[in-house]
Amino acid sequence: MSRHILHRLLISIPVLLGVLAIGFAMLQVIPTDPAAVLAGPTASPEEIASIRESMGLNEPLVYQFLLYLWRVLQGDLGRSFISNTPVLDELGNTIGPTVELMIASLIWAVPLGIVLGTVAAVRRGTLVDRGVVALSVAGVSMPIFWFGLMLIQYVGTKWNLLPYLGRGGPLWSIDGLRSIALPAITLGGIFVGPVARMTRTSVLEVLGADYVRTARAKGVYERRVVVRHALRNALIPVITLVGLQVGFLLGGAVVTETMFAWPGVGRLAVGAIISSDFPLAQGAILVLAISFIVVNLIVDLLYAFLDPRVRRA
Amino acid sequence: MSEPVAMSSDRPAAPVESTVRPLSPWRRLLRDKVAVAAGAFLVLVVLAAIFAPLLAPADPYDNNIRLRLKPPGGDFVLGTDTQGRDMVTRLLYGTRTTLVIGVSAVLMGGFIGALMGIMAAYYRRLENLLMRIVDILLSFPSILFGLAIAALLGPGVDTLIVALTVSAIPSVARVTRGAATVVMQQDYLEAGRAVGVRERVLIWRYLTLNCLSTILVYLTLQFGQTILLGAALSFLGLGAQPPIAELGTMAAEGRNFLSFRPHVATIPSVAIFLIVLAANLLGDAMRDVLDPRMRQ
Repeated sequence: MSRHILHRLLISIPVLLGVLAIGFAMLQVIPTDPAAVLAGPTASPEEIASIRESMGLNEPLVYQFLLYLWRVLQGDLGRSFISNTPVLDELGNTIGPTVELMIASLIWAVPLGIVLGTVAAVRRGTLVDRGVVALSVAGVSMPIFWFGLMLIQYVGTKWNLLPYLGRGGPLWSIDGLRSIALPAITLGGIFVGPVARMTRTSVLEVLGADYVRTARAKGVYERRVVVRHALRNALIPVITLVGLQVGFLLGGAVVTETMFAWPGVGRLAVGAIISSDFPLAQGAILVLAISFIVVNLIVDLLYAFLDPRVRRA
Repeated sequence: MSEPVAMSSDRPAAPVESTVRPLSPWRRLLRDKVAVAAGAFLVLVVLAAIFAPLLAPADPYDNNIRLRLKPPGGDFVLGTDTQGRDMVTRLLYGTRTTLVIGVSAVLMGGFIGALMGIMAAYYRRLENLLMRIVDILLSFPSILFGLAIAALLGPGVDTLIVALTVSAIPSVARVTRGAATVVMQQDYLEAGRAVGVRERVLIWRYLTLNCLSTILVYLTLQFGQTILLGAALSFLGLGAQPPIAELGTMAAEGRNFLSFRPHVATIPSVAIFLIVLAANLLGDAMRDVLDPRMRQ
């Protein structure tokens, strides 16, 4: 177990360095000379040169990269080109809404997917099963923005039931709940299919196991066999697979936030890239990537904890 | 055999009678109605994209503000878009751009990934290094490749192809290595080596050709995901830039007119959905027939 954790942690280091290198590269493509910007329009070439020197811009790239690492470690991600506020502050304001949206999506999509997948597995080969399978294939083939656009078109504008732009307030307020509904339905909607599919496969596998046959032979009620014996064991791979799909969810979140004007990190990143705000784009991508790595690490360790077979491998 | 996709993975094994020769994989694929329909649809789409300049009734970049946002029907079968351009024409050219982006990314990413997988399986010394690179790439979600590369190179079709190629590489490499490792343990490879078959022939004819069906199946499934990701990035404004006709970009252009002219955003969105659905259905059917090993 400890070897497994060590291995995972060691792999995370080059990934982290790679992510930071990309962030560093993003700051290198800035078309203007940062020293000239800092010195102002009236500065003489000598002044600019001395500022370049003091900013470490004349040092080798490796040294500059180490300097960058040091600054990032201290939480200094630079300032936004456009608003001139520290990137870290901008990120601090947007992380909360992103986490909110992800939780609000998972909280209904995962249970629904598990129920659908279990029902499909138990009623294997029936119309219900085919319906669930067809639904999940359609779900993974659907561009998420189309699903969102349809919700906006009908629920948002035509029937005028729910707001579809921005965040109305904190989650515990009525306005907050109303404003998160459509984004959470959109983002969760693309997740139901994959979860149902994984659950179905996993439950089918378990239903064929010896201990399920034993339970049935003992005369345990079918409902109890499914819930107690089959589902419980089938859920281990499902839960970890859900965790490993966080990257997929992240992609959906970027699109969902942008189209519903949800003030999260994904929308921040897209806006920053489009307006060439390199420090802000760097910060947003850094945060998204690092949180992805951390979640992946946790899921991986959880998997090893839940399933002893992984530990030994 | 008409059941859709994922179900087939646990289809009970049919009792094989010893006198009946099992059908070849391609024959079995042809018996699968869903697979045939999906394949035929994709062939049609590709033909329409190739011959778009001949089929299109108008010029895809011919703006006419006075004709803008016409609903489907009348002179324009599918209506016109926000700039008064014919939607049938835009759809044909948009599909063409989307397919060019998706196909080139999948082919390039597939080639590099397959090469890495084969090399890792054949040269055991390289395995650790190559697979660590794959691990690193895999721990970076594909949307972030898209965002980061768009930030570095500036949004555009070329950027999009680079981002999609990079995001396809790691999973192809991993799947290929899995298949190639199995082939490496086969007796015929050992026999080939023993009788002095040249290394190049061993790698290509003995190893790669035997992994090809696995790679092909995987690329078909990857194709749908690549198209979806590319369309999403274009929709966000990070891929193909207007006025280029691209399905994701077209959907984005129509999103501000949803309430009174929904066709502008809906038509390209449905096109993406159908292309990806067909690719996924075909890929799933191919997997069941050609490559039972990949069925998890």
